[in-house]
Amino acid sequence: MLKVEHLSKTYPNGTQALYDVSFQVEDGEFLAVIGLSGSGKSTLLRCINRLIEPTAGQVVWNAIDITAAPTSELRNIRRQIGMIFQQFNLVKRSPVMTNVLSGRLGYISPYQSLFNYFSPEDRRRALANLEQVGLSEKAYVRADSLSGGQQQRVGIARALMQEPKLILADEPVASLDPVLAHSILKYLEQLNKERGITVLCSLHFLDLVHRYATRAIALKDGKLVFQGLPKEIDDAQFKAIYGQEAERVSIV
Amino acid sequence: MNSSSSNSSRAIFAAFLSLLIPGAGQWYLKSRWRGITIFGATITLAFLINWGLDNFKIGQIVAGGVTTSWLWIVFVLFAAWNIFDAYRMARGEPSFTGLGVAGAAVILYTLAWNVTDINLDRLITRLPDAAKVARNLVQPDLFFQDDAGAWHPSENFGDIFGRVEDQPAPEWLTRWGLVAEDQKVPAYAAGKLIETIAMGLLATLLSTILALPISFFAAHNIMARLPGGTIIYYVMRTILNVVRAVDTVIWGLLVIVWIGLGSFAGVIALTIHSVAALGKLYSEEIEHIDPGPIEAVTASGANLFQVIRYAVFPQIIPPFLAYTLLRWDINMRMATVVGFVAGGGIGFFVLETIRKGGYEQYAAALWAIAVVIIIVDYISAKWRERILIGETKVSVAAPKPFYKSPRAIAYAILGIIGLVYCWDVTRIDLRTLFEPAPTFVRLLYDFVTIDLTPDIVEIVVKQMIITIFQALLATTLGALLALPFSFLAARNLTGRSRLSVWIYYLTRFVFDVLRSIEALLYVAIFAFWVGIGAFAGTLALAVTTFALIGKLYADAIENIDMGPMEAVMSTGATRLQAIVYAILPQIIPPFVSYSIYQWDINVRMATIIGFAGGGGVGLLLSTYFGMLQYHKAGTVVALIVIVVALMDFASAKIRERMV
Ligand SMILES: Nc1ncnc2c1ncn2[C@@H]1O[C@H](COP(=O)(O)OP(=O)(O)OP(=O)(O)O)[C@@H](O)[C@H]1O
Ligand SMILES: [Mg+2]
Repeated sequence: MLKVEHLSKTYPNGTQALYDVSFQVEDGEFLAVIGLSGSGKSTLLRCINRLIEPTAGQVVWNAIDITAAPTSELRNIRRQIGMIFQQFNLVKRSPVMTNVLSGRLGYISPYQSLFNYFSPEDRRRALANLEQVGLSEKAYVRADSLSGGQQQRVGIARALMQEPKLILADEPVASLDPVLAHSILKYLEQLNKERGITVLCSLHFLDLVHRYATRAIALKDGKLVFQGLPKEIDDAQFKAIYGQEAERVSIV
Repeated sequence: MNSSSSNSSRAIFAAFLSLLIPGAGQWYLKSRWRGITIFGATITLAFLINWGLDNFKIGQIVAGGVTTSWLWIVFVLFAAWNIFDAYRMARGEPSFTGLGVAGAAVILYTLAWNVTDINLDRLITRLPDAAKVARNLVQPDLFFQDDAGAWHPSENFGDIFGRVEDQPAPEWLTRWGLVAEDQKVPAYAAGKLIETIAMGLLATLLSTILALPISFFAAHNIMARLPGGTIIYYVMRTILNVVRAVDTVIWGLLVIVWIGLGSFAGVIALTIHSVAALGKLYSEEIEHIDPGPIEAVTASGANLFQVIRYAVFPQIIPPFLAYTLLRWDINMRMATVVGFVAGGGIGFFVLETIRKGGYEQYAAALWAIAVVIIIVDYISAKWRERILIGETKVSVAAPKPFYKSPRAIAYAILGIIGLVYCWDVTRIDLRTLFEPAPTFVRLLYDFVTIDLTPDIVEIVVKQMIITIFQALLATTLGALLALPFSFLAARNLTGRSRLSVWIYYLTRFVFDVLRSIEALLYVAIFAFWVGIGAFAGTLALAVTTFALIGKLYADAIENIDMGPMEAVMSTGATRLQAIVYAILPQIIPPFVSYSIYQWDINVRMATIIGFAGGGGVGLLLSTYFGMLQYHKAGTVVALIVIVVALMDFASAKIRERMV
């Protein structure tokens, strides 16, 4: 179980991105994080694995206090939490295989990995994960020769290398067209249902939330303004989250 | 089964081809560039090993009564690698490119080390001499303290920055009856630095005016519309490339025969080189304009001149201005050295101080140059940024015409006064252009009918090879030194602690100061330290390389995408692992590409460091010019043009394939 308690974040330039945010996620949930651009979704997800240091509050995961973990332990925690990014964040000039293998870095000795050495076991695992996302024949091409949807699937395969128990996905489909968006989210759904991996995913479109999420939370200007089932987001809730002028739109 | 046996017979055939002719197997396997590169490298290496043995006894060993070079063993290994490479490529296995590169590198660096007479022990044995120069460098002769303890600008300060002194009154003052006939009035006499600034400004102005029309003749898309235009285009481009390949300082040698020593000669030399460089940049810019507006304006029934005025000009003015500003920066730098041969400006002053052994005066000049160039560099970069990003002023009123804005009028008047002053300071005398010295015609004739006797060609080629190796060593040395420092000068990697911010600014400052002074001006320091010769020149080049490449590297690091770093960190990787997997793959290609580019630049630079005692082909050239042997000087210049053009081509090709 993931417990976020009174989490706040103020950036060095004074922007307060999160105000006292508290919520819980049970194991096996698919939690959607919604909110307008700038509402603090990315900040929230990054505070969970401490890519960004929160200013106040706690993140407790299975009785471990992530926010208090020393650097050495942080490595152990991070390797159990996969992360997927809007801009994919692949090393574009490196082959797909190296990108996927880099998901394993948290497990192996830093010195071995300096020379691009990975055990045959890890290489097999990488190929299996590429197979899982349907890209096994692209293993040795450069990452930048793939399309956006394929790059995001490489991103998923990289996260799978960590054998994660939790996946943080920061707008994983915002750079993709609607058809690809569904295909990527279906992979996440499959991982969530079949392997029981907990998923925290920020999303822009409400119909995607309805279709994939088991529960949703909403942020507005850094404050938590809603938590509950996706179907509970009625017109009034919608206006509270997105503002009075907002109109519902949907994608295919 | 069948395919694998045909595959292995294909592999043996490819290997056999590469045994007969190096690179032929690779060519046969459709890796054309790889094949050509291997073939070219093999021939070059063989020639160089043989040349090194003949001229310098490099790697000489006696084996079984035969005198030969051990480098041939490495050469055989290289050839064997080439066969193996073809074999592996045909079987679709990854090839070990690194091995081949390493073999070639062993040969090249062994040769380079020997021909540039590297004497590491001198760096230490003569350290006291160096310390003396260093002391002068930190105590430049600019101010002195009188008995009362007050500070005054020194004589040398006046020489550099100018001084106010009594001079005969200018004619207009007497004519207006303001002063008596032979009365003296205090006037500002410009210093050498002011003269240099004027030279750079004038050369930029003149070359912009001249390059503008020329660039249209060198633009393919414009010339293709005219009958016979394509031929003019090729002729123009060739001329521009040849003129550009010859350094400004070398143009200076030619120009002084034409119009005599002085800052005017410097302006002309700067202008010649600058016209060619700008002409090329401008014409490339014309070739890359958007054809859409041209189509639209043509469709409205406009003729060629109208098309140029309304569809071409608006597109090219901002990039042209940006290039002019960039060139202004380069011209200022070149103006500091052209005086070495042409007389005039701070370059001439530096030459004099070195001759007299006045290292305090020399140091003062270096500091003065650094200040000016850093300012110019800053202004030029800022303005370029403004022009290219473009200011979008939101205004509903129609803009006032230029002559109604008081600010514009004030700028125009200031500009004209500045121009007239520059004209005066550099003693421009256009008439002398049309009254060349009587020897000039002979010079031109001798110069063009170059001396091709084998003896001379051999000497010139020898010095040229040394020059190229100087550039290679200097690039390697400078780049290796710059590597660790470039990380300290990259904003995104240095932390936010106060100490690291200080380190960041300090490193950038050191880069900027060292970068602002041309290699030619550093030679004197190293000549004093390790003695005149190729070693001193190599070290001087290494210093500028360190600063230039350090800045390029640091900028490349600052431009990387931090997303992958974040992603790798999120998997639980350590910082070191994240740097290896997310940062290195992004910076190695630009680093290699910048290093090759820098080698290209250094070869040009190395052709002139000989003028200050840095060895290489420049020394030969200045000797031939000094002895009025223009015949032979022509040979040197012709070879420089060929080598620089080849380097330019090769480096562009390699860098293109790197991306
Ligand atoms: N490094 C930073 N420094 C200062 N302010 C920041 C920084 N990163 C984000 N912010 C600010 O914090 C607030 C929340 O940003 P965040 O990126 O978390 O929003 P988001 O919901 O992910 O938006 P989007 O949908 O556009 O990605 C914004 O106001 C943003 O400007
Ligand atoms: Mg975001």
